[in-house]
This record gives sequence, structure tokens and C-alpha cells, in this order.
Amino acid sequence: MEKENKVLPYLMMLPSILLMSLVVIYPIIMGVITSFQQQESGGYGFENYRYFFENDYHTTGIWYTLKIVVITVVAAIAISYLLAIFLRFSNTPISRLMGKLYILPRFIPALVAVNGMITVIRDSGLINRISQVFGYNLHLNMMYDEKGIILMNLWFNIPFATMMISAALSAINDSEVEAMRDVSASKTMIFTNLILPLTYRDVFVAATFIFMSNISSFTTPYLMGATYPKMMGVTLFDLYNNFHYGRAAALSVIMFLFSSVAASIYIYINMRKDKWEVGR
Amino acid sequence: MKLQVKNVEKLYGNGDGIRDINLDIEEGELLTLLGPSGCGKSTILRTLGGFISIDKGQILIDGKEVHNLPPEKRSTAMVFQSYNLWPHMTIFENLAFGLKIKKVPKAEMSKRIENMLKLVGMIDHIKKYPTQLSGGQQQRIAIARALLLEPTVLLLDEPFSALDAKIRVQMREELKQIQQSLNMTVVFVTHDQEEAMAVSDRIVVMNKGVIEQIGSPTEIYDNPTTRYVATFIGEMNFLKNTDGTTLAVRPEDVVINADNADTSIEGIIKTIMILGHYTSISMEVGDTTVHAYVPRLKANKFSINDKVSISFIKYYTYN
Repeated sequence: MEKENKVLPYLMMLPSILLMSLVVIYPIIMGVITSFQQQESGGYGFENYRYFFENDYHTTGIWYTLKIVVITVVAAIAISYLLAIFLRFSNTPISRLMGKLYILPRFIPALVAVNGMITVIRDSGLINRISQVFGYNLHLNMMYDEKGIILMNLWFNIPFATMMISAALSAINDSEVEAMRDVSASKTMIFTNLILPLTYRDVFVAATFIFMSNISSFTTPYLMGATYPKMMGVTLFDLYNNFHYGRAAALSVIMFLFSSVAASIYIYINMRKDKWEVGR
Repeated sequence: MKLQVKNVEKLYGNGDGIRDINLDIEEGELLTLLGPSGCGKSTILRTLGGFISIDKGQILIDGKEVHNLPPEKRSTAMVFQSYNLWPHMTIFENLAFGLKIKKVPKAEMSKRIENMLKLVGMIDHIKKYPTQLSGGQQQRIAIARALLLEPTVLLLDEPFSALDAKIRVQMREELKQIQQSLNMTVVFVTHDQEEAMAVSDRIVVMNKGVIEQIGSPTEIYDNPTTRYVATFIGEMNFLKNTDGTTLAVRPEDVVINADNADTSIEGIIKTIMILGHYTSISMEVGDTTVHAYVPRLKANKFSINDKVSISFIKYYTYN
């Protein structure tokens, strides 16, 4: 009887373990192996990795990607934080309406959203035409440029980050804020002494999520980006289409390593419990 | 006069709110705003603290207008029903925060915090976090934090209503003691009439945004001026008179006589409940039920289904 009980849980887990191995673990291992296979000499080595770091075209692409992602993370978090604070503490018809609308972009398919944005911001787009009505000929110069990509990233990520930060803010009670006002704390003091310490964890979590999902983004840079420099996701697509499987695998591993930095921050923050949270 | 409220009005979009609020609160007085939920008692308290703006009228503290000032500029301090303490700060940090803003020197600050914690009996918990304390202990700290700011008026918004019955009784006794020893002016909001009777110098009975009656606990209990107050404070029997008015009698003012006595009201005993030092007897009188509190020894001579006649020591008539 007891022996049966020990085996049973493993048996029950077996299907999912097999499935995981087949569709996740096996491709990862194969990908890592492939990334070390040298196309010309046939053996194993760092040739595929060296290709990215000894080639200005690709180092520029990597830095370009990181730059766009970091700007996206910082801008999305800053805007979302302000928006979430506004939604939480302002009780006006406008804030209530915004509270209902801000999530809307998440329901619009990415391709539709990107194409929609292109028709608005391109140099012959909606904004240009509106400017012509007023006698100007405004060119935003946002297409085929990092500005367009960042704008689009914000469209996708602000609703998500606002949602996460809003959840954290809703855990702060009105009386906790009012008690601070009551002891003569200014708005800045309330932010630094109450709101920030009670929400910084969720802000970091949102930031790591945004970082991870944008480091490998493809749709937006493919449709809106320039031919040079390219974001890593687009480069990966090019390499794969041109049968450079080893290099594509190496680039995947590099992207994975960037993501795992964010992932470790995420895990560290989630594991860490502040002393005051014990029993909360 | 410590605190004056003159013709204050605050109405919300849905018609709720407070109207014609006039209060004069003396220094060292403990005034209670009493009423059911939605009667506007918390709204009044929050206008005093500056958390709600008023549409009309004036609020004066020590003769100075304060109704246009935000909470951070008022010399009042408020204790809320719950979630008073900042969860990420220790008890010491919670108490020190306001003093730091007031730029109290460090040595003096520590001394004042320790003295205050001794006053509320919480000195052993100085290094703990709020979550490590019980609800009652947290409210003690919340009161200590408010008192440390040396407010001109202390505002308490149902501070004990989230606590167990036993702790609640203990806390209100402690509050009364502290209030008297510091000669604090306190405005206290509660929906619990027993709590109001126990702690107050004066009670303000509220109904649907207006004041129904103001008076000492004895005045309110002995002379409820309206039927609403009579219903809300203590136990009361209501009997319809033939002329359409209503007769109100407290159970302790009902005298039960043997059936042959010469009174006009007759009843039949339905239940007899022994409640410690007295007995509660309920009787069927016409189509209503009348309750009477009778001393144990006198109650012994009655049993269920006895026909009795009743008279009243004292009663009130309402339209």
C-alpha cells in the first residue's frame, strides 16, 4: 500500500513531464548544442557567438535592442506609475472613465495595432494630414526609427504595467494615506514613505516582465523598424530564413541570457520578504 | 469654546449628506456622534479633520476658522476604524514619523514616544511591526500616535468597532481614563449606543444627516425628545393610543400587577427570562408585545399565561 503511494504521484506527473521534455526541454538543449556547432569546421566552439560580438553590424544591433528595451521599461513604468496613482487616488468622472478605458489596447491584436499606429504617425499619416489642414506639413519622422518602436511598445506595455501597479496600490488603504496627511506629511512624503515602500516590489516585477517580453520583440520592429540597425528579434528571423541555424541558435541563447538577468531580479524580489510582511 | 461648528452643510450627489449642523464643544469634553450607518456622523467627523470639504457654514477651532484648511494644516488628529498604522514601519517608526515632520529633536522624540507607550501600556512592543500586534493593541498605538501630536481636538471614527466585545469594553474605559488625565477634547463617532452612554460627556444623536438631540447620556436616556431617539437609545416599548399618538415606556418603568388591580391595560404573560439580577417578562397586550424588567424576587410570583394588569411609572407620548 505504502509503496503504491510513493510511485503514484510520479506516475500522475509523468504525462506532463514527458510533454514538457518534448516541447520545452529538448528544444532548449538542442538549441544550446546547435549554437556551439561551427558551420565551416564542423566541430564545436564559440564561432557563432564570436560572430555577433566581433561584427559591428551585430553589436550595434544588440546595443540598439537594449537601448530600446531600457527606454521602454523606464518610460512605461514611469507613465504607468503616474497613471495608476491617478486612477487610485482621484475620484472624478474622468478618472473613472480612464479606469475603464486604459485596458482597451490589450484587446486589440498586435498586428492591427501596429498597422493602425503606422497610419497615424507615418509622414503621410493622419497627424500629417491634420497639420496640413492648419497650413503646416508636419513630419514626425517616427517611422523606420526607434521612436516609432518605443511609442508602439508603450502602447502595449502601459496597460499591462498600470494593471499590475494598480493592484498593488489597491492594497493601500485610504486610512493609511489619510493618517499620513493627518500628521502633516506632504504629497511627496506620502509617496516616498508610504506608496513607494508598499509598491516597489510590484513595480520591479512589472519592469522585469516588460524587459523580458520586449527584448525578443518582433512584430513591432519588423513592421516599423529601420533596415539598420535591427532589433535582435528581426535579426534572428533573418538568420533563420537564410539557413544560419548555428548563428540563430547563438543569438537565441544571447537573448535568453539577457532575459535571465531580468528573471533573476524577478525571482530575487519575489523570494525576498521584508520583515514587516511576516504574518501579513 | 474649543470647537465650534456653525450651520455646516455637505450634500452628496445622491442627496445624502449633513444639514444644519451646529455644535459647541468645550475644552476637555468628550462628545459622541451617535447614529446608524449612513446618518452622517462620520461625514461630520471627516469635515472636522479636513478630509471632506463643506458646502456651507463654518468650523472654528479656538475661535479660528479652519474649514478651508487641508488635514495637514489642521491641529486635529484622527484615529480610524482600522488600518491606522503604516504596516512597513515599526511601532517606534510609526510614532516617530509625525514628530520627525515637526522637527522634534531626537532625544526628546524618543522620550516622548516612550512616555506615550507607557501611558497606553505598550512599551514592550516598541520594536514590533503592526502585523505582530492584535487589533486592540494596534488601536492603542493608533491612539498613542494621534496623542503624540498634541492635537487640539482628537477625532475617533468608530475606533473600537472592529474589536471583540470584551476588548471593546476595556478599550473604552482606557480611553476615558486617558482623555480625563490629559483633559483632551475628543469627538467620538460610534453606532453603539451602549458605548456612547459609557464614555460620553454629551451625546449627539444623528438621523439622516441632521441632529435629532444633543444632551448628556442621562438626559438622552431619561428625556428622549423624539420618537427616533427613544427607539435608538436603550430599550423601549411602543403602544398605540386611541387618539393616534404613541406611548413609549422603558421596560424598567413597567409595573406588573396581579389581575385584580385597577388599571386599564391588561396583558397575558408569554415569556419569563432570568437575566442575572433581574428578570425580563414579555406580555401580550392587545396586538403588541410589552417587555418589562422586574427584580428577580418580584418575578417569582408570575408564571406563563398569567393574566396581569400593567401600569407605568413613567412614559412619553410621541406623535
